[in-house]
Amino acid sequence: MQLHIHGPRSRRVRLLASVSALALGALTLAGCSAASPTASSSGPLKIGISLSLTGDFSDSGKAAQRGYDLWASVTNKAGGVLGRQVKLSIVDDASSPDQVVTNYTNLITQDKVDLVFGPYSSLLTVPASRVASRYHYAFIEPAGGGPSVFAQKLTNLFFVQPAPTTKGGDVFANYILSLPANKRPKTAGYAKLDDPFSAPIAASIQKRFEAAGIKTVYDQTYPAETADMTPIMSGMSAANPDVVVGGSQEADAFAQIKGMIQLKFNPKWLFESNGANSPGDFPAAVGANTEGVFSSADWYADSTIAGSSKFISDYVAKYGGDAQKIDPTSAEAYSAGMLLDQVAKKTGKIDNATIIKTLHSGTWPTLVGNLSWDQYGAPKGAYLLIQWINGKLTTVYPSATAQHAPVAPKPHWAG
Amino acid sequence: MHSLIQAIILGILTGGVYALMASGQTLIFGIMKVVNLAQGALVVLGAYLTYTLFTQLGIDPFLSILITTPLLFLVGVGVQYVLLRPLHGDDVAQLSLLVTFAIALGVEGVLSFAYGSTLTNVQPAYANFSWTILGYQVSLVRFVAFLLSLVMLGLLYLILQRTKFGRSVRATVQNPMSAQLLGVNANRVSALGFGLGAATAAAAGSVFGMLNSFNPGSHYDLISRLLTIVVLGGLGSIGGSVVAALVMGVASSVVSALASPIWSDFTFFIVLLLVLLIRPRGLFGARTRGAL
Amino acid sequence: MKFATTRAGLIRAGVFFLVLLVIPIVGGPGYLLNTLIFTIMYAALSSSWNLIGGYAGYPSLGHVAFFGIGAYATGIIFSDSVYGGYAPFFLLPVIGLGVAFMSIPIGWVSMRTRADVFAIVTITLLFITQTLAFNLKNVTGGAQGKSVAPAPFDVGTYDWPFYYAMLILLAIAMGISLYFRRSKIGLSLATVRADEDKAHGVGVRVTAVKLIAFAVSAGLVAMVGGVWAYYVGFIYPQFAVDPLITIGMVLMAFLGGRGTLWGPVLGAFILVPAQEYFAQAFGASELYLIAYAAVFLVIMLFLPRGILPSITERLARRRASAAGAARDGASPTPSALPTSEVKVVR
Repeated sequence: MQLHIHGPRSRRVRLLASVSALALGALTLAGCSAASPTASSSGPLKIGISLSLTGDFSDSGKAAQRGYDLWASVTNKAGGVLGRQVKLSIVDDASSPDQVVTNYTNLITQDKVDLVFGPYSSLLTVPASRVASRYHYAFIEPAGGGPSVFAQKLTNLFFVQPAPTTKGGDVFANYILSLPANKRPKTAGYAKLDDPFSAPIAASIQKRFEAAGIKTVYDQTYPAETADMTPIMSGMSAANPDVVVGGSQEADAFAQIKGMIQLKFNPKWLFESNGANSPGDFPAAVGANTEGVFSSADWYADSTIAGSSKFISDYVAKYGGDAQKIDPTSAEAYSAGMLLDQVAKKTGKIDNATIIKTLHSGTWPTLVGNLSWDQYGAPKGAYLLIQWINGKLTTVYPSATAQHAPVAPKPHWAG
Repeated sequence: MHSLIQAIILGILTGGVYALMASGQTLIFGIMKVVNLAQGALVVLGAYLTYTLFTQLGIDPFLSILITTPLLFLVGVGVQYVLLRPLHGDDVAQLSLLVTFAIALGVEGVLSFAYGSTLTNVQPAYANFSWTILGYQVSLVRFVAFLLSLVMLGLLYLILQRTKFGRSVRATVQNPMSAQLLGVNANRVSALGFGLGAATAAAAGSVFGMLNSFNPGSHYDLISRLLTIVVLGGLGSIGGSVVAALVMGVASSVVSALASPIWSDFTFFIVLLLVLLIRPRGLFGARTRGAL
Repeated sequence: MKFATTRAGLIRAGVFFLVLLVIPIVGGPGYLLNTLIFTIMYAALSSSWNLIGGYAGYPSLGHVAFFGIGAYATGIIFSDSVYGGYAPFFLLPVIGLGVAFMSIPIGWVSMRTRADVFAIVTITLLFITQTLAFNLKNVTGGAQGKSVAPAPFDVGTYDWPFYYAMLILLAIAMGISLYFRRSKIGLSLATVRADEDKAHGVGVRVTAVKLIAFAVSAGLVAMVGGVWAYYVGFIYPQFAVDPLITIGMVLMAFLGGRGTLWGPVLGAFILVPAQEYFAQAFGASELYLIAYAAVFLVIMLFLPRGILPSITERLARRRASAAGAARDGASPTPSALPTSEVKVVR
């Protein structure tokens, strides 16, 4: 039963029941002000953000919040942006598109924030970016990279990841197709999660593979709530492809791998677009069976990118814990802030028109790579191909940044 | 052919676990005429209890049933006593539907607060072990889970057939009025019945946690599945719910394997609608006035 | 059970709608309008649900399916261009009528069962619609969603057309409610709700009136869905066919008083702003959900019939010395309604 409560899902809190008196109070208050946005250019720099802080995906929403907060505190310690202290207004949208529209409208017209950053849930980025565009606000967003985002042709939008989400797996295709023809896989199987960010990744790889003559022997799409991956994996193992490509999120990637272990099916290459790139959750879910699994990433704890180690030490100092447990979402949100710093440094100004104009040219170093965008905000870079080697995530492709050569064929399951 | 048989085996094993959850739900309806929307949440609660017992105390998930089942039995009795009993008026059925929904939300809230929203699962050492029999894969956890569900269903059957409480339940299901005239204490039967329903959810939850990844929001999927099962089987009919659960398990699994998983649940809904078109009371439902 | 349109009732409705009419003009654009759009949207949805769920006593939990169909109709027709901006609004009546007709066979099948089973069958409807929205990729765009072309309205008054469209739909829903109460249909529905078998016995055309209520209710909900899709601008299956929208309609009707004219409106004007206020004020905490459940339980346990009927009953009891005509608290006469709810809201 695809009870898709939200893309990822969540947001039961939407109709938050409450004491009527307070509500009416709120409405009366609401009646008092009405305005068009006018942002001041002195005093603290107010940045408005709506995040999914409740519901099933609250963990990622909170990770984004930690990234934003960390950037703000680091920046403020260093004197702020152009001398102005950063003040974040973060509100919860409980993952509802209605609420996200309301939140950004409120932030811009009522709170009169100077700037806005994007929400967490990718599905909410589209309605949110439309509001921002209407008021001519720059929309720097770390979590909405689906085709629908760029299809809007908004010129105020910048996606803070190395490439559009659907191209998340292209680096795996690059690697496979870089192999000499006799060492390439002959057959491929695809298991695709039917959501805007997963199935397209596998589909994009499939297109490249088929063009190169790698035969598709199994291709299945499953709905987001499929808890039980065994039927699909038994079909997969019956077709016995050389390479298995999972267009996946977390839980289903784990379930796919568990299904393969139970069916004792061990493909020569295994790529999972998500899930397998989580340094903490993946081993927790599949135990010692991580070895040789491929995934892609923009930032991870052992990443060698400039600034990463400072980010990690700041993060651990502020929130404690273990570097391996840091969600990439935090780094992506932090990177959104880094872009502002650089625009301010370069132009000496920090208003929406300047940001939009400035980011459209040049290359901008962040934790998730050197970013540059096309006119509608789609980043022009590529993700890193990572593989589990000796129990650790390791960059294996492109060779320029690789820490280790890719390991193939994949070792047998540990059991 | 091979994949068809493999799918049927899987479907039966999965269906068995759903049969256990659904039997509790249909029992509650049979006794109280309450559609319990919290059944899925109770299953998830059972799964989290098992998870905690396993990760914190190292108790085997199957053994933890001995702890979770009595615990949720008490929770069930408490819920009936505190929240459902006080309802009155001519809309009790609708009100109790919403009350059980509120309970589901509350459970979800408490679990989100305690565990966060990341999907998790119970992962004992033998979780990925499977046998190959005549070329077909049978996972150990799934097989034991199926057996366990059969045992629990058997126990439930014995309780209903062989005990005084069971006789009162059956009398109440058939005719609440005359049961009361015969000296059955309706409140007591309702409380125990709700407790029993919750207990089946606990037992199924322990197993569910090993078979699936779950988070506090998983109960929405569960409840929609359970509702269709109990309606197909006929509200109030335990035998019906078992048959319907197996039908659902097999149908979903076969459609998944042969066509596509995106249509598997859909097929089941269509089957349900067709059955209701011919038999509005479900496969084995009794015609109880006012309820159906 | 004849209801006269009392002068007090007319004034109340007049003041309510007049206030809402002038708010954009005096209050200007911005977040107030935005909040009101969603509030009025839920008031309209809940009032429409009330036709079948309240008056007929068939608690549909699948109404959001019609909301989604309306939303997709708008999304599909206007994905490339909105033809000057107002075309999606003009097409709404067509969508409403279409969905109303389409809902008749659905209603016929599902209303062969009664209350509890009906609720479950309608949930099924919700899932079927959502699955179709996901799987019929060529029509709906599947999980990738469907976008409506952006509206070319001026930033300053951007929200106005959506606001007035929602307001008109609310007025229509309430008008139909009022008509139902005052006509033979209302009487028939009340009989069905009280005892369907008996209603059959006394010659009420049970199936016909139930189907009329169901179809009208479905058509209205679809039109609201159409406006919503245009306003939000982008539809995904899980948002357009969201079980929470159903829950919202039902909860608001229960809170305010189902089977009453103003109950669903009152419910919406309490719950929607409250929810937004809390989202702003408290940000995040899962304690939220627990509080929500608690409030929910309190309503069910202490105000089982909703706010309006409970107040009305209390007023009626106070006036009990007079002829006990208005005892039927479940369907209070308009004149017995407190005037306060309108003023409180403003």
